[in-house]
Amino acid sequence: MKRRRFLHTVGAGTAGLAAFSCSDRERAERLAGSDAGIDEAGLTWSKAPCRYCGTGCGVEVGVKDGRVVTVRGDVKSPVNRGLLCVKGYHLPGMLYGEDRLRYPMLRDGDNWKRISWDEALDLIARKYREALDESGPDAVAIYGSGQWTVFDGYAASKWFRAGMQSNNVEPNARLCMASAVTGFMTQFQSDEPMGCYEDFEVGDDFILWGNNMAEMHPVLFSRILANKRNNPGVRIVDIGTRRTPTTDYADMYLEFVPGSDLAIANGILHCLVRDGKISEPFIRENVVFKRGIEDIERIGFGSWGEDGLGLEPGDGPAEHYRFKDQGRDASLTELEDFLADYTPAKVSDISGVPAAQIETLGRIYGDPGRGTVSLWCMGVNQHTRGTWMNNLITDLHLITGKISRPGSNPFSLTGQPSACGTVREVGTLAHRLPADMVVTNADHRAKAEEIWNVPPGTINPKPGLHTMDMFRAFMRGDVKVLWTQTTNPWVSIPNLNRIRREPGDGRFLIVSDIYPTPSTEVADLVLPCAAWVEREGVFGNSERRTQHWHKAVDPPGEATEDAWQIIQVAKRMGMEHLFPWPEDYWHKPMYEEYRSFTLGLGKDVASYEQLEQTRGLLWPVVDGVETRYRYAAGHDPYVKKDRGVHFYKAKGYGEKAAFWIRPYHRPAEIPDEEYPFWLCTGRVLEHWHTGSMTRRVKQLHQAVSEGYVEMNRVDARRLGIGAGQIVLVASRRGELELPASVGGRGEPPPGSVFIPFFDEARLPNLLTLDAMDNISKEPDYKKCAVRIERT
Amino acid sequence: MRRVTGRILPIIALAALSGTCTSPDTVAVPGHEGARKSSAEIRAERRAYDGAPPVIPHRGFGADCVNCHNDRGRSVSGVGYAPASPHEGTRSAGGTIRCMQCHVFRTTDAEFVASEFDGVAQALTSGDRATAGAPPRIPHRVVMRENCLACHDGPGAREAIRTTHPERTRCRQCHLPIEKLDRFTTVTDPVGMDLE
Ligand code: SF4
Repeated sequence: MKRRRFLHTVGAGTAGLAAFSCSDRERAERLAGSDAGIDEAGLTWSKAPCRYCGTGCGVEVGVKDGRVVTVRGDVKSPVNRGLLCVKGYHLPGMLYGEDRLRYPMLRDGDNWKRISWDEALDLIARKYREALDESGPDAVAIYGSGQWTVFDGYAASKWFRAGMQSNNVEPNARLCMASAVTGFMTQFQSDEPMGCYEDFEVGDDFILWGNNMAEMHPVLFSRILANKRNNPGVRIVDIGTRRTPTTDYADMYLEFVPGSDLAIANGILHCLVRDGKISEPFIRENVVFKRGIEDIERIGFGSWGEDGLGLEPGDGPAEHYRFKDQGRDASLTELEDFLADYTPAKVSDISGVPAAQIETLGRIYGDPGRGTVSLWCMGVNQHTRGTWMNNLITDLHLITGKISRPGSNPFSLTGQPSACGTVREVGTLAHRLPADMVVTNADHRAKAEEIWNVPPGTINPKPGLHTMDMFRAFMRGDVKVLWTQTTNPWVSIPNLNRIRREPGDGRFLIVSDIYPTPSTEVADLVLPCAAWVEREGVFGNSERRTQHWHKAVDPPGEATEDAWQIIQVAKRMGMEHLFPWPEDYWHKPMYEEYRSFTLGLGKDVASYEQLEQTRGLLWPVVDGVETRYRYAAGHDPYVKKDRGVHFYKAKGYGEKAAFWIRPYHRPAEIPDEEYPFWLCTGRVLEHWHTGSMTRRVKQLHQAVSEGYVEMNRVDARRLGIGAGQIVLVASRRGELELPASVGGRGEPPPGSVFIPFFDEARLPNLLTLDAMDNISKEPDYKKCAVRIERT
Repeated sequence: MRRVTGRILPIIALAALSGTCTSPDTVAVPGHEGARKSSAEIRAERRAYDGAPPVIPHRGFGADCVNCHNDRGRSVSGVGYAPASPHEGTRSAGGTIRCMQCHVFRTTDAEFVASEFDGVAQALTSGDRATAGAPPRIPHRVVMRENCLACHDGPGAREAIRTTHPERTRCRQCHLPIEKLDRFTTVTDPVGMDLE
């Protein structure tokens, strides 16, 4: 196999572990406090956020002889107070798989050739320069990640927008929480949640919308369970399409037909309005009503037909999806009329959820005496109407006034450690600039040009390609040079058969990573990266907490930081003015420059000094004080003391929040006779995303070693399939053989199956559909049709 | 009901031993006639590094973990002794804690890619004493090990650390924790968020 050969070549190098440098050691000691950073056992300790999920747990990292030898939950972190999940406890192993990438490797036919950094960087600069000169800024792209540190994302965005004059900067977070971004932006004109993790201790009812929190945000789920332990009245409602470990702890479980969550939310709104459980004073003061395009023929699914507007596979594969919503003013009366279609009985017909359960949810959201927290993540975001679903959940809080209050908030969880910090705050989506600004706004561009010290007119006003269109353009050859960092798209992009690549196709693909993956396998040039505490970093977690860590050990071989790689290429392209800082001291000045975008806007991130000294702070940080509840008087320094709640960022709505009326639409693909099962994909507790890190940790691999298809027992019995038996799963796009899991940790209802995506040898994305949310352009990994056969 | 499932190898976590150890502080290795391992050895094998949560050394029994791993430990007929949970208030938390968040089964011996990770070694040190007769201080972290008797009493306790006075349940009345071990780093608390 091609990749094994690659492994071999790369593995031939020695570890090359340089000694832990003196200044790092001194810094760690200083950081670790007055009683010295080295303990009796000779371990040097420093702090860092966990490398994996958006929870952002604090860990203490123990280093000996230049290697990370232990971690422990940081009792001083307000996020996790000493607790971690199994991935966090096994963090150190992630750094030490024997096939770590150690040197730049250039494709040489079917082989790989070790080259120097100078050769690699010169080559990248030359390739980008040629593409720019020949085909212009649309032909170049960089694709990063919600696991990029703030430095990596900021360097990429500045280099592309201010240097290359291209907005083809995208993160894998497009696949992950872009619908939450468009949700918050359409309603508050400012991104990210208003609440914080304290909501988990003070809330009474926790409504989980398609959210397997016990596995995906384990430590946060523990905080809810602790609340339940201390306060037996606390309730957890699990609204899902599959029983998961979370369901085991729920007081009520609603199992709905995939996609019908839109109807359920409208059904709850119906109950609230019907029963007069809405807060009219709050609405009068703080809410405007809006309505967008609803005609399915004008929206499409992004997967088929010209401009993605098709509704059926027969319309042919789409090359672009550029639908743009248009909002108009609506009213409470119009909402009341609209909701007539969503009686609990009608919603029950669409969703399969008993009407009584919808009524119960109406009573929960409508009870002014109880704190209600709605939680969601991929189930809602990876949805062909994900922005609508985000809107509807927040609508439930707006109409009841249960928002910006401790214990009552719509709380969107992020999957990646810096989806908030790097993608949303730094602005690494194709249309974004830092601090909620966008490239399409002339004032925003002018502000960015001033801070970046580039001539007016430098920044391209045309948004770049969103991820799905970027990869389609790369396959067409419209994008000629693509650089991916900290992500593994040849595992994680839906409908992988559309991006099958044979190197030598005239395009140039650079992949920066820490291990060989299916993405390095199809690359032309592979760059080795420093991971986690092998470099300095800043992440921003789900609750707006910015967290910093210092480098604790040297990376292996010649591995370097992603941001450093970008800066070096920019310098070789004559763009050194963008990165005017000394080679050995650029993190802090780069961060301070980034921070200047955020000050005074209600997006104020903490100072570097404060980040070094604390376990992170929740922005906006004004006068050194963090904000637990945005838009709330007494908490948010931008809200006057007597104002109650003030959505001051929503200038376009008269500083009120927008309630969006959103209907139910069917999913893009629905099971039929030929493909009778729903397929949902996702993660498991033990593995992080595509598994390139966690599978190299012995304990995690040994816990869950291979992908599987999880089936309902009734279906398994009917098809004569036993647990562990290899079955074929096929969709209109591809097929896959893998073992069946029956009676495992989760169970989908009859007619549904689930496949985790961590196993690169069993890729569910061969089956998934590249249908997208109409507004965020985030693909739907949760709903497509497959058939199952015994092999 | 919390389902606890895992596909399990016939013999878990216990590799064959080359010799037979006769120290009193050893346990039999299932499936290996006469083979014994020290409990310290077994303790180390189940952890990625000293301080990591141990992997689960048995198959899933389809019940709440805390039914057996309660605050005092329990002999389960046909299975063996289930040591107590060292975590504070485990029994009272039944139904509201999720053990599988940190403890995972071992379903295979294979590795995806060999690892060069070499974790901090198990260091089973004794607590120091102010004077010869003074009670020893607690030489390890207390976080997540609040239930002292889980390790220091009962059939699951290593002999070297088994207490002579399990009836005196307020251990920390006499045995002092060393604050530095639990709160080694001393940077200032984050602004605005109390830890407690
Ligand atoms: S993976 Fe998430 S929950 Fe687990 S330790 Fe890391 S940040 Fe915490």
